[in-house]
Amino acid sequence: MSERTAFDAIDRYAGIVASIAAAPPSQADELRATEPATVVARLHPRRLSLTVTDVIAETPTTTTLRMASIGPDLPPFLAGQYVNLFVDLDGTRTSRPFAISSAPADRGHYDLTVREAARGFVSPYLVRRVKPGDTFSSTSPMGEFFHNPLFHGDRLMFLAGGSGVTPARSMIRDIAARGGARRLHLVYGSKDPDDIIFRAELDELAHANDTIDVTHVISQPDHSWGGRTGFINGDLIAELAGPHLHQMTYYLYLSGPPAIYDFCVGELQRLGVARRRVRYEANGPPAEPQRLHDWPGHLDPAATNAVAVDGRGKFRAPCGEPLLNSLERAGYQLEVGCRSGHCSLCRVKILSGTVVNGPEALIRKSDEWTGHTHACTAFAVSDIEVQL
Amino acid sequence: MTSSTSDVDVVVIGAGNAGLTAAVRLAQSGASTLLLEQRNIPGGCATSFRRGRFEFEVALHQLSGLGTEDHPFQIRQLLGEPGVLDRLEFVYEPDLYRVTVLDLVDVTLPADKTGVIEALAALHPAERPGVERFLDLVHDVFQEWIGFTYLGGSQLAPDEAKKKYPLFTHYALRTLRDVLDELFVSQTLKTVLAAYWPYLGQTPASLAFLDYAVIFEVYLEYKPAHIKGGSQAMSNALLEEFQRLGGEVRFNCAADAILTAGGQVTGVSTAGGDTVSCRAVVSNVSTPVTYGRLLDTGMPAAVRRDLDSRPIGVSGCMVYLGLDAAPQELGITASTSFCLAGFDHDRLGPRRDEIGEPRAVAVTCYSLGDPSFSPPGTTHLVLMDLHYSEPWTRLSPAEYLDYKFAYGSKLIDFAQRTFPGLREKIVEADVATPITVMRYLRHPGGAIYGFDQTPSESALFRSNDIVVPGLYLAGAWTGTGGFQPTLTAGAAAADAVLLAISRTSHSATGTTR
Repeated sequence: MSERTAFDAIDRYAGIVASIAAAPPSQADELRATEPATVVARLHPRRLSLTVTDVIAETPTTTTLRMASIGPDLPPFLAGQYVNLFVDLDGTRTSRPFAISSAPADRGHYDLTVREAARGFVSPYLVRRVKPGDTFSSTSPMGEFFHNPLFHGDRLMFLAGGSGVTPARSMIRDIAARGGARRLHLVYGSKDPDDIIFRAELDELAHANDTIDVTHVISQPDHSWGGRTGFINGDLIAELAGPHLHQMTYYLYLSGPPAIYDFCVGELQRLGVARRRVRYEANGPPAEPQRLHDWPGHLDPAATNAVAVDGRGKFRAPCGEPLLNSLERAGYQLEVGCRSGHCSLCRVKILSGTVVNGPEALIRKSDEWTGHTHACTAFAVSDIEVQL
Repeated sequence: MTSSTSDVDVVVIGAGNAGLTAAVRLAQSGASTLLLEQRNIPGGCATSFRRGRFEFEVALHQLSGLGTEDHPFQIRQLLGEPGVLDRLEFVYEPDLYRVTVLDLVDVTLPADKTGVIEALAALHPAERPGVERFLDLVHDVFQEWIGFTYLGGSQLAPDEAKKKYPLFTHYALRTLRDVLDELFVSQTLKTVLAAYWPYLGQTPASLAFLDYAVIFEVYLEYKPAHIKGGSQAMSNALLEEFQRLGGEVRFNCAADAILTAGGQVTGVSTAGGDTVSCRAVVSNVSTPVTYGRLLDTGMPAAVRRDLDSRPIGVSGCMVYLGLDAAPQELGITASTSFCLAGFDHDRLGPRRDEIGEPRAVAVTCYSLGDPSFSPPGTTHLVLMDLHYSEPWTRLSPAEYLDYKFAYGSKLIDFAQRTFPGLREKIVEADVATPITVMRYLRHPGGAIYGFDQTPSESALFRSNDIVVPGLYLAGAWTGTGGFQPTLTAGAAAADAVLLAISRTSHSATGTTR
């Protein structure tokens, strides 16, 4: 027996020492060590390895890429969330976020529905050149654009323009699959009837479910169109929502080209709808950075500035291009998620020079104090030095 | 001090509280130091995230051990030496906390001794002496513990120790419940005084009085505080200082393995495929993962035996709320409130068998003492209760998101019993679960305080002896969890590294610096 020490003067000390010694051997030590990686791989893997199983032509300019997992099962997601899809194009590795248009219950695949943008870099490739068997990597599903049951009610309106309908399709299929009290009215603006994505499917879902309504609005109708025409505006919203519009729990989701946000938010404000009941998520960096509040008045967005990457190199880039895109074209790989200023994965530190951020950039207060920015929505309006 | 044979002196794995203070202390002492962080931002749980106009504090409830300028304590000194303190602004909270038990009890304890006595004596005048005795015990056991642990007491013979530290030796390892039962008749007083248990993760029947006395004393004597800009501001400030001192940090860079040769640490390989040689590693990673996954030799037998008696501790569910009303309009009168579903804390604790219902919820509001913490006229509110991860990891992936939001909604319902009308003021809301904690911290069990803080987790029983020469652990898993313990654990680990390095330098070169 060992010599008694000061510790033995502490009441209950010896009993606890004995209980530690008596603990039975655990079989779970390694399991504990690997648990975080196992659980995270199931629910929030950092990267998904995807293969295209189907390429579905939706409209002349829109294609759905059906993606299945090459590895483990796809993680769960909330209808309205997106994945950021990585692509290698013309020697540049970049990425674009796409809302998942399939239903959360369909975990065998994610549908990513892509419309070709007129002067797009990535979308023409995805719409025209991808074929079954092609492989991609992406982030896990992410984003805050979903029905949040903590405060969103059961009556909802979704105002969509063009390819902004893709998250609505996921939400509608989710509601149809779950049953229950949640109701959604999709008000969907398209240029002409041929441009309507998922037309037959949406109309069918509306027909088959009391909880789903779909109203198409066509801005350039032909003779055959018998439905509503023009643009989504306050009068139409008020008419379709009826008295529900002023209930505290009636929520409106907006998704589409930037114009729909500015216009519809204004219209809803005019109707007296509380701002908190209008939900949307920035979809890419500002298209016209020269219109940002802090943009130096004289500066041509095509002018170039020097970007020095701390300890690694230097290149020139147009100041009207998001810093993230410039870095990617120069061969630098950053962690990246939303490409819209929100998720902060592309957080970098500006050591010298000035960047201007769009209002969508959600930068932490203390990050502002230490000169950090989100590269995806930052524009270098002077020569800068950046630390990745 | 850089060794000619290694890339750096020290690699610090993980930029959590302990990793940051270790890195700063090492760099300050001239050790070449590489800090690896798997995420893109320093802080670990000492971080924040944005939703709309709000920035949510992830983890810090009340910073303890700072002390005031006139009455400084450990953390003020720790942050002050490297000049981090000057970059931060603190907001002191006038109260320890408010406690509500359904609609039966509603009492607020000010953060001063007289105030606590008066508040509780007003409830039960006859028990005033018990309250005074409790606060004296808290103070005296704390002081005697310092004497015993740091001022040579543990070297005494048992009889002398008993004589010199009578309260410590009698009370330290009694449970909080035993001490409360000894001092009080009123269940209300016991309930109110024990309300800090969620900060330690164990209910009074399985919590050593010493551990509770320490936490109660540091809040009462040195005042609870929070940080302008949140804990992220402190994390950023520590990292800035580390870089200013010449330290190198790599973000998005997880460690893949701790490399050894002949039983001695020689380097670290990263998930990106790099290998960095070093003389020592400070691991801010959990103990099970450090030894069971990172260490290239696998888990040493001594560690395995030690872990047998150390259950993985609690995690939590958090609801982060941005509210479109000022705190006063919502009935929020204290920065910290503990809302309870009953009087007996031991029936309100987390369970391993089921998710259950909210029973003991901490409600933290920084907007009350610091209106700049959220946009004008709004409130930043965090609801939190404790959970073990098992019921959450048992859910199928298809069930998980529904359970997450359903439980978040229950937390809001529960908080509304004290703060009616919260839900209709929500502008932003998000939920975190044990899975979320696991995702970001990579801790087994999503544990927020390391191992279960039962009496056997006290520093009286667990030493941080070096198992593998050159490998030092620091964080919630090497002592008590929480901000003050982890911040100090990092600095202590750095001191141990520096001492060892200076010794080997001496023996290798035979010279002194």
